[in-house]
Amino acid sequence: MKGYIGEFEELVLLTIASLGDEAYGVSIKEDIEMRANRTISIGALHSTITRLEEKRLLKSRLGEPTQERGGRSKRFFELTHEGKAALHEMKNLRDELWKISKTTLSLGK
Amino acid sequence: MKKLSHPPRLAVALFDWYCGTAAADDLRGDLDELYYRDINRMSVMRAKFRYWKHCMELITSYALKKRKQKAAVSTFSSNSFHPAMLKNYFLIATRNLARHKFFTIINVLGLAIGMSICLLFIAMLSFIWQYDTFHSNNDNIYRVISETNSVNDNREFASAPSALADKLSENIEGITEVVRINRSLNSVVKFENTEVSLAGYFTDPSFLNVFTFPLLKGNSHTALSKPNSIIITEKAAKKLFGSEDPFGKMVTLDNLGECVITGVMHELPKNSHLKFEILASYSTILAAEQATPSVKDWHESRTSYVYMLLPDNASTENIERYLQSVSQAYLRDENFHISFSLQAMNDINPGPDLYNQIGPSWDYTSISIFFVLTLLILIPACFNYANISISRALKRMKEIGLRKVMGGQKDQIFLQFILETVIITFLALGLSYYIFVIVRNEFVSMVVAGPETLDLSIDFQTLLYFAVFALLVGLLAGTIPALYFSRLTPVQALKSKPTGSSTRFSFRKVLTVFQFALSLGFIMSVVIVYNQYRQTLNYDFGFQQANILDVDLQGTDPEIFRNEFSKLSSVQTLSMSSHVMGTGSVDATWIVDRVKSDSVEVFQMFVDQHYLSNLGLHLLAGENFTDNAAANANRVVVNEEFLHQFKIKNPHEAIGQTFSLADNHDVIVTGVVRNFHYLHLREPIKSFFFRYDKTQFHVANIKVVSTDIFTTISEMESVWKIFGGEKKFEAKFFDDEIGEAYAFYFSMIKICAFLGMLAISISCLGLLGMVVFTVENRVKEIGIRKVMGASTQTVTILLSRDFAKLMVIAAMIATPLTYLFFDKLYLQAQRYKLPIGVSEIAISLFIMLALGLATILSQTMKAAKANPVDTLRSE
Repeated sequence: MKGYIGEFEELVLLTIASLGDEAYGVSIKEDIEMRANRTISIGALHSTITRLEEKRLLKSRLGEPTQERGGRSKRFFELTHEGKAALHEMKNLRDELWKISKTTLSLGK
Repeated sequence: MKKLSHPPRLAVALFDWYCGTAAADDLRGDLDELYYRDINRMSVMRAKFRYWKHCMELITSYALKKRKQKAAVSTFSSNSFHPAMLKNYFLIATRNLARHKFFTIINVLGLAIGMSICLLFIAMLSFIWQYDTFHSNNDNIYRVISETNSVNDNREFASAPSALADKLSENIEGITEVVRINRSLNSVVKFENTEVSLAGYFTDPSFLNVFTFPLLKGNSHTALSKPNSIIITEKAAKKLFGSEDPFGKMVTLDNLGECVITGVMHELPKNSHLKFEILASYSTILAAEQATPSVKDWHESRTSYVYMLLPDNASTENIERYLQSVSQAYLRDENFHISFSLQAMNDINPGPDLYNQIGPSWDYTSISIFFVLTLLILIPACFNYANISISRALKRMKEIGLRKVMGGQKDQIFLQFILETVIITFLALGLSYYIFVIVRNEFVSMVVAGPETLDLSIDFQTLLYFAVFALLVGLLAGTIPALYFSRLTPVQALKSKPTGSSTRFSFRKVLTVFQFALSLGFIMSVVIVYNQYRQTLNYDFGFQQANILDVDLQGTDPEIFRNEFSKLSSVQTLSMSSHVMGTGSVDATWIVDRVKSDSVEVFQMFVDQHYLSNLGLHLLAGENFTDNAAANANRVVVNEEFLHQFKIKNPHEAIGQTFSLADNHDVIVTGVVRNFHYLHLREPIKSFFFRYDKTQFHVANIKVVSTDIFTTISEMESVWKIFGGEKKFEAKFFDDEIGEAYAFYFSMIKICAFLGMLAISISCLGLLGMVVFTVENRVKEIGIRKVMGASTQTVTILLSRDFAKLMVIAAMIATPLTYLFFDKLYLQAQRYKLPIGVSEIAISLFIMLALGLATILSQTMKAAKANPVDTLRSE
């Protein structure tokens, strides 16, 4: 796999994974805002999603038109195989680093 | 119900417009959903604001950019810029230009004409911008300027009382140098047998420290420290001394006596706002006998200037504050207030329009007027180009369609057409540079004192400006056609169907009307100004000018002159005067007003007892000067305006009243004459009086009765030789001199004619382009009409009618506007105006219509005469 993914990209990918079938623009935004307790701009989010699509880590499909969105459809996102692989790679790297850490990383009192 | 509230419509419209055909439905959905969520949580205002914010975030996001790219016409589309394409654009552009030679020539010629006057303007501006930059201290030199406020007028002067200089150097610390300049040095300089009239300044020794005028010879520290020492410029020295070394020579200046030359100066650069031929030490004017107290006086500041040099990065604040307090402390008066301020030398040229400038001035107003004139010429030329390009769009449609199908993006097509325009403007730049070189000298000579103060030679920097200018013109002229072409959709383009033709055509019509209206305006100006000039010469100035020969006395004794010349039979009457009247050169003096404490400016002329009758001036009351010279010394003959100024109702009342002049002379009014134009017609008639002073006579006015003027003049020349010595006999007829005084009309005629020529050539070229194009497109139609029996004549009329209509509209717009302009604005400034006749308007209309119709008919007649067989056969 070429390149690596950034922190925000990883966050988006994982959020999409956690939302399952309900991952579209607004739900991703709200979920991240709630969990990570930070405000993200809708433009930045869509830009990141577009980049992830370009890297083929995400794919999308258009949903049915919905009433609450003025009759407009949602675009749902899901992880591709490469997307999952990238997340794994990231996680493995982290686990390894955690394991070999010479400083005690526990926050114990 | 909050649910019914809509997202802000403007934001939605903006978003939709920006997205265009790109698939952004889901993004809109996201926006709306966020909005409806927000609205339940916060005020409508805030929700709307947040909607706007989200919109802008998305519009500027990479997500939308990518989607737009995807939505573009072709899969080959690419937004990235390929330098290789530039080569292709260049190639296509040159091929196109080479193929359509006729239109290329029209375009290049039109733009070149339009640009040539702009080149003049740019060269002039770039020169003016470099005014005074040769001084090494130019950033730190300031001068004091004064502003006077009296009851009825406010004026700003470049001059300031010299007493300020002493006050400043006494009271303010941190001024490096203060220098006083008095520009009243204007005298005949005599060296052995040569006499040359030279002008210059009295100034302090610090002058040479403050300003950078290097001396060829002499010590710059001491050259001006002693009274009666003079620095002379190279050119003036050559006039006076020829090839001799001027340094250390004694010369005689009238009024000042013997002076020694203590320095020779390099010739002044043309871009100096200080212009002088000689500099005399300031102590000279203080020591000179005729130095009136006015030199040191606070009120007398008409010829004195105060400059100063400050240290680097010095603040001018405390000086400004001091100057304000000074004016309050020394010049207290209820009706008249004067205040001083500093002006940086870099702000002098170009700078605000001030009275009493010390040298040449380039004020913002005249620069702006020139700028507007250049735009008036340039913009029609640019629109011409746009016009012709768009009207020829059909021929390029297929190419553009193909480019778009193969992935050409909007910006790329835009770039291509801009590039093509820029190539044309650079071709035009070459041609206009040629025109510029031709008209340059003529232009410089038209500007007042141009040859000494304006240098339009070209350096590298100016060339760079020209190139940048050509690029800008390319952008200006190219944007409209480039936008038009880049907006075409491939389907339209390949079908060769132009869009929105109706609106564009009306735009072209408006343009043509505008151009012709402008041209007509210029033509009318030329005709009107020429007529004004002709009528001025026949105007009743209030005095006679026929058959009067003015002879320059050149320093000979007026009495001897009179005795010798009176003997000639052709001399009917002979009088003496200090000036030639009506030619714009008259002295002024100041009278102390007893009512107001300020003094009043009065124009004066010195004449003898024969002058009034010789020139036919009408005496309303009182009497002329007497034959007794001594008795005349205090007498004045005033004009009607003088009475008006001093509120004297009846001419007879004025007789015997006394007035004191600024130089403490008292004068008695002994006569009143009817008003006459002692100055230029542009100037209003103001208070004026005649005085009698033999020493001031410079001109003899001889009324000549003669049938053979040549013999008369040669007779006079032989009489002149008796006492005139080596000097050449110089005589001119009075009416010729008046004519010369109005020669400025000629420069105006030249300027208007030049501009008019440019404007009309541009309009005719534009018209030609349009006519040729229309005729080309209607060739088949004409063929069919002719086959069906239309005559050449009817076809010609049919083709020309639309264009002729435009010209008539232009005439209808331009005629009243030009008339109003001249009637209300220009001639108002003229003071004594002459009416504009119908004939002027008729002549101008005829010229414009003739040129325009000739352009139209040259093409339409050719088309109408063509054999229908030739035009219908092909295809």
